[in-house]
Amino acid sequence: MTSMAMRNSDGTWSITTRVIVYAAIGAALYALFNYISFGFAMPGANEVSIRPHYGLLTFFGFAFGPIVGFLTGFVGNVVGDQLSGYGAFTSWQWSVANGLAGLVAGLFPVWMASRMTTTGSKAVTAAVAGVIATVIGFLFIFVELVTQQEMGFNAILTTEYIPVIIGNSIAAAIVTPILVLAWEPLREQIGR
Amino acid sequence: MRASFPYLGRGSWLARRDPRVLLLAGFIFVIGAPQLRDARQLAAVLVLALGYYATAGIPFRAVRFQWAYLVLVIAFFAFFNMLISGGRTGTFAHVETHVLLSIPPFGAEISVEGISLMLSQVLRFAAIAAVGFPIAYAIAPGDLGVALRRLGVGDRIAVMVDLTIRFIPTLAGEFGETIDAQRVRGYDPTARKGGPITRLRRMAPIFVPVTVGSIAGAEDTIDAMDLRGFGVGRRTWLRQLHFDRTDWLVVGAFVAFAAIATYLNLSGQSQHYLLPFLIEH
Repeated sequence: MTSMAMRNSDGTWSITTRVIVYAAIGAALYALFNYISFGFAMPGANEVSIRPHYGLLTFFGFAFGPIVGFLTGFVGNVVGDQLSGYGAFTSWQWSVANGLAGLVAGLFPVWMASRMTTTGSKAVTAAVAGVIATVIGFLFIFVELVTQQEMGFNAILTTEYIPVIIGNSIAAAIVTPILVLAWEPLREQIGR
Repeated sequence: MRASFPYLGRGSWLARRDPRVLLLAGFIFVIGAPQLRDARQLAAVLVLALGYYATAGIPFRAVRFQWAYLVLVIAFFAFFNMLISGGRTGTFAHVETHVLLSIPPFGAEISVEGISLMLSQVLRFAAIAAVGFPIAYAIAPGDLGVALRRLGVGDRIAVMVDLTIRFIPTLAGEFGETIDAQRVRGYDPTARKGGPITRLRRMAPIFVPVTVGSIAGAEDTIDAMDLRGFGVGRRTWLRQLHFDRTDWLVVGAFVAFAAIATYLNLSGQSQHYLLPFLIEH
């Protein structure tokens, strides 16, 4: 049974034990790597930081569904902020944006199940899903136009949205397919 | 590697409160604070927020780095926002600004309005952080799941948050072991060579085993939970929480704050405050 068939039989939106545990693992890993603050600046664009562990979020969404993706991003970011001591709600809009990116990444296998026939096509779809999910999910930070009225549209666009989109898209496009390629043979082996 | 929640506020007045109080306080505060724009009102709110923070008894030595980083990040973003917007946002969106300095080559302006906006932003963020820090340091890590459940979050999500917190120290250990194992094989995690894509790909020997190993290991947890009938009936929690009168008073104070902030916002009594001494200058 393929993962797609398994997911459809469980229901894309149902919260099973599997969803709970995968989401907890994803969130714990994302929080841990957020806490360790992995990342490096792009040469020539120091405001753009690439966080490799962002690819974990899109991978968990892509491999285990939208609920796991959302919980990995949202809870992972909240717990990561908690671990670092900045408080769960200080940057709540970023946590929601991370969650939405994971959720959108998780919708791709549902939409494109028929096109993902080989491991290679899954990896390519995962890369595309990661980038599109990042671009869509992080649109949520424009909520700051309401919650922080001092921030103008241009300021949010140039100092927050675009740098984050560039860095996270690069991480998602590279790390997500690597993880898909590593996970697929193991998934077949354990029969999930 | 150590990665766990340091329970720094243990025994303090705030830590003795029901953990739901701290979560509700943070949540309600985030609803109220963004509705205030006037720097004078926000300064008063910050003082109250710091008073609340003080009751958590968090030693400053232990969190000075977090505070310094937070203030630096807030100031950085507020400063760049000021340069990019030129102070023409919020209440000052359609007014003629009082430019103090124009910075070449792009002519970015530092205006009285921009500085006033920056002050409001910094004060608000600092206040939100002051109310948020106790959530990180004054709630016993084991109480988070049950507190969320008692706040109406579903059992499964509450368990998921609980599991997340329990997994972190284990995964941190596995992460450390993976780095050590790869070092033995000649991997250098501190290497700075190559472009961003090369460096990203170089992280694979760390990310792949930790992630895939964790997922494969999760199968045992899933089986154990399924075998114990997780999710088939109503779940009970060993830890009992009790809301006492003081807890109600604290939550009531935060609700009152949010109500006042909403009133000030809707009645137009919280507009951005133009710092007068800068104009006279």
